Amino acid sequence: MILKRGTIVSRQDILWTCIWVGGLIVLGIWDGLFLNSPAFVMVQTAFRNTVLACTFVLLLSLLFGWASGIALHFLETNNRPLYLLTTFALNVLRSVPQIIGTLIGYVILTFFLGRGILNSQTSQLAWMSLVIALVVFQEVTDLVRERIAHYSKLEFFHAMLSCGIKEHRIINREILWKNSRAHLLNKLVSIFATAIFLQCSIDFIVSVGLSTDVSLSNFPVTLGSLLAKLDSKQDILAIGTILKDITSIRSLFFEHLQGISTACIIVFSLFCLYKISQGLARHYRL
Amino acid sequence: MKSRLLEHALSIVLVTLFFSVLIIFMRGKEADIQADRTAAIAPYLELDFIDFGNPLHRAQFAEALDVFYPDRRAGNDSLIQSIESFRQEQFTSEEYKTGGEKRGLSSGKALQLIGMFAQFCLVYLIVMVLSHRASTGLAIIRFVNMRAARPSALAQIILHARGSRPRGSSWYLTLLFLLLKSFGVFLGYAVLFAPAYVIAYSIRSGFDTDSYLFMVILGVISNGLLITRASRFSAFLTAESRKGYVQTSIVKNLDASYQWGKGIPYKAVVEPTKVLSSHVFRHIYRNARHQYLPSLKEHASFLITGLIIIEMALNIQGHLGYELLQNILYRQYDVAVAIIVGIFLIVKATDMVIDAWVLREAARYENK
Repeated sequence: MILKRGTIVSRQDILWTCIWVGGLIVLGIWDGLFLNSPAFVMVQTAFRNTVLACTFVLLLSLLFGWASGIALHFLETNNRPLYLLTTFALNVLRSVPQIIGTLIGYVILTFFLGRGILNSQTSQLAWMSLVIALVVFQEVTDLVRERIAHYSKLEFFHAMLSCGIKEHRIINREILWKNSRAHLLNKLVSIFATAIFLQCSIDFIVSVGLSTDVSLSNFPVTLGSLLAKLDSKQDILAIGTILKDITSIRSLFFEHLQGISTACIIVFSLFCLYKISQGLARHYRL
Repeated sequence: MKSRLLEHALSIVLVTLFFSVLIIFMRGKEADIQADRTAAIAPYLELDFIDFGNPLHRAQFAEALDVFYPDRRAGNDSLIQSIESFRQEQFTSEEYKTGGEKRGLSSGKALQLIGMFAQFCLVYLIVMVLSHRASTGLAIIRFVNMRAARPSALAQIILHARGSRPRGSSWYLTLLFLLLKSFGVFLGYAVLFAPAYVIAYSIRSGFDTDSYLFMVILGVISNGLLITRASRFSAFLTAESRKGYVQTSIVKNLDASYQWGKGIPYKAVVEPTKVLSSHVFRHIYRNARHQYLPSLKEHASFLITGLIIIEMALNIQGHLGYELLQNILYRQYDVAVAIIVGIFLIVKATDMVIDAWVLREAARYENK
């Protein structure tokens, strides 16, 4: 085996986090050297906005997922009709494909913008994050419920109840915080990747085909909307030319940097997040 | 099974009912909006001394409005804009053309949507089957390679670089081969993780990206769908292989060799059940698959998301996703809602089929 225990190489999650950050820094330096400064600023802003929005999605998903998971657990034992009703509503929400849910959120956002509500870019990003969180948070709910169900069968759970420790304390502290952090972390990494994918896709779609009444300049720049700009699309189209003329590959790294960098950040981030998630699963044997 | 079916049926009925009411409400609202809009501009359109097609008249009208209503300049601008839009519609609206359709959800539109819906279902079914088979195959390859302790492409390069001295031409040739292999793996990962629109735009200049074949290929390989599903199934296989019964079976002399072509035949990638029953993998696979099947629901939902993204982002005309986007753009929300109901029904139908499949498998699993 070439992977020695105790080294950074054996911790694939840490290794790939370093590769991700390192790769983005290298790309940033390259862009700083060869990309024109207005475009470079735009790429930086888009990246910052995307990361900010996706972090917000992460926090909201954790909050909603944790709260709904625990609420469902207590409802199941204390109020069966309400439990069935809530589960039914959540299942209906689950049956709406994520992109449709996000698209509906955007339609509502344009409605708000048309009436002068949510005018600041931060509030728009927050709204987008809330919408994405609403379509992905059930993954956390499922995980929370699965962990509670698993530990509820074990003796320590009943022993602690017999000792007079309150159930919500056992669930929140002993089960979820002490014994499920790795699972939650792994789930949050995959939610972060899903959020990047959904946000970029919806912004790309919206920038390409929606919103004639509300000027696109109102929306905060994200990686998806930057990729949808004409310059970026032409840069991506240039990749196709290397299939006909391999010598044109050089131009991709110097002349078509805006689109290539944006696409690279998206694909590279998704790949690294996948590897981080796999590394976590392997390390903690999830 | 009955309770699951009942829940699905109830959700279909309730959601369809809710959206039907929404469609009726929106159609009424649409008529009201049209009437309000026409009522607001009608007095100005009746002024026969103003020709709104004449730029001079338009400019004079705008100035006159600003003189009469100096404190609502934005309102004046939007009034002129409304008149302009109304006039444009007289020439561009489908409604006024011979054989053109009415705005909103007419019977003609509904028929058109049914056609698109059928096309979408067909593509979805093909992509669903292909991606399921492909992800299962990929997961098996990963699992077998992992069990055989086969190093990754990158690890092979490191091992080779640390290897034999002196280094002859064969050493350099092997290194070149390994580097090319690593590059291929990297390129493969880049394609698998790239959103569909990135792949499509990058090869658009060389291929027809609007064909069904291209859409199916893109649906299977892009958006990280294939790799995440393969990873999921691979995790189930790994978890199953750690269970006690597997160790017991190995001790009791079941074949546990993970060499390609010897212990595991190559055809196992396509037909995993064809592995000999004396090999432990066959049992690992069957038990892992039983646990994996319910997660196909998530796969279906994510697959539909991927297909809609492809249709919308690539502006493939005449497809359901494109139609949905266009109807949102032109604020024909009743049509958009009808499309969303259709998509919801596809998801629900898939859920029902998967639930039935899981229960059937469970009955076999539990020897019922």
